[in-house]
Amino acid sequence: MSEPLLRVENLNTYYGKSHILHDVSFEVGKGELVALLGLNGAGKTTTMRSILGLTRPRSGQVALDGVSVAGSPPHRIARMGVGYVPEGRRMFAGLTVLENLQLAENGRKGDWSIERVLQHLPKLRELSGRKAGRLSGGEQEMLAIGRAIVSNPTLMLIDEASQGLAPLIVQEVYRLIEELKQDGVAILLVEQNALLALKIADRAYVMDEGRIVYHGDAAALLKDRERIADLMGLNAGELAS
Amino acid sequence: MAHIAPEIFNGLILGAFYAVVAIGLSLIMNLTGTINMAHGSFMTLAGYLAFALVGAGTNYWYALAIAPLMAVAVGILMERTMIRPLYRRDPVYSLLLTFGISLIAEEAFRLIWGPNGVPFSPPKGLGGGISLGFTVFPVYRLFIAGALVVIILALVIFLQHTRYGLRLRAAVQDREMISALGTNTQLLYMVNFGLGILIAGIAGVLAAGMLGLNPQSGNSLLMPAFVTVIVGGMGSLFGAIVGGLLIGLAISLTTLYIPAASEIAMYVIMAVVLLVRPRGLFGEEGIFG
Repeated sequence: MSEPLLRVENLNTYYGKSHILHDVSFEVGKGELVALLGLNGAGKTTTMRSILGLTRPRSGQVALDGVSVAGSPPHRIARMGVGYVPEGRRMFAGLTVLENLQLAENGRKGDWSIERVLQHLPKLRELSGRKAGRLSGGEQEMLAIGRAIVSNPTLMLIDEASQGLAPLIVQEVYRLIEELKQDGVAILLVEQNALLALKIADRAYVMDEGRIVYHGDAAALLKDRERIADLMGLNAGELAS
Repeated sequence: MAHIAPEIFNGLILGAFYAVVAIGLSLIMNLTGTINMAHGSFMTLAGYLAFALVGAGTNYWYALAIAPLMAVAVGILMERTMIRPLYRRDPVYSLLLTFGISLIAEEAFRLIWGPNGVPFSPPKGLGGGISLGFTVFPVYRLFIAGALVVIILALVIFLQHTRYGLRLRAAVQDREMISALGTNTQLLYMVNFGLGILIAGIAGVLAAGMLGLNPQSGNSLLMPAFVTVIVGGMGSLFGAIVGGLLIGLAISLTTLYIPAASEIAMYVIMAVVLLVRPRGLFGEEGIFG
């Protein structure tokens, strides 16, 4: 088997003295869409931050296309082709939509450019002169994804893309994520809404209290709602559809 | 009119100095939270370096270009070796560090160039005066006014219309996100610090020919510059300009009419502004305007 695009091995991350990630290991293959599920506080965001170097893991390996990057500064990891769509979008609220996109141009060559992103998301072109802080939540999510694509990533880390959005907007955002996958971009998708993510994912990992507690095929897991409920610590009725 | 006009003009020039120093302080403060108490020392340093260069036979214009760059080199060395390890700590650490450096610098200037100040006159081409009809105004001051306007405009263009300026403005809002997008923030901090020192250095050389050059000359501009930052509003470039001019005018005019009040004029302005607008005249949260 060839080297996966992202390989995380025995990752241990701390915030101060609290041990957050316990020997987290998983893989994302080239062009694969992997869902990372779990409840609030399970360690999903910390996992993403550890991959990107925003929070330095204390031990363990993160390899991109076979190259070890654990301990590298975030800008270097980003330039190796990791796009980040953070929880809460983290727009530069005082800058325009266009400026937000320009910030992501970091010299990586590829098919994507600001022009192509704007072609793909015509709404953003209309809003390109507007301050990002004035966009609606859905528009901000689109911009956050667009901003990550501008740098031509081979792997996108998308954190809670559906959070706080109306169902129709969520559909739109998810359609965009699927298009990126078809474009060959590998995606690690963190979601609290398990059913939503499983519908488009190839494989899924479930986290609980900083550990990976399940790993399997997304389509198979999607059929077994009781299993999902059990893994996520919910009643079957509590699963949002 | 005849006696007040030059004072207004002098006040505006003084204010432009405050504005330029305040902008440099703000650049550094907004991005890294470092309150650079040694900012005035870099002005003085550049002034003395220009004085030494001219004394060694260098043309004034070269000295005006080279001395600030030498100050930048010293500044970057200080940022890399001493301030950088403190970025993650409470801002009070870098404040104490830079305050200590300013004391050491002042003493060093005194040892090298003497306690009383040195004469640093503008080049011959900028000597003399221009008749404005009702009064004669020194050419050198007009030159300073023009140069300060150019500095401010250049900075605005840099911040608003270049890639690097965009990254600086973004980093002020979210340093972590900018690094996640592929920008080397450590390099950004260094360039930003160097930029702040560069404009302080140019201002220092310019000021030496007008306000005099002694071991404290830069520090004497530091306090009004801090007041300017507060009056104009943290993080606002436009605010620093307006605030600086306002304070310069106030100091200049009170010196003319109520000399005893000139020292407290700026504090009165600061108190009034803070009562009415606690964030300063144009203060927003951490955004270069």
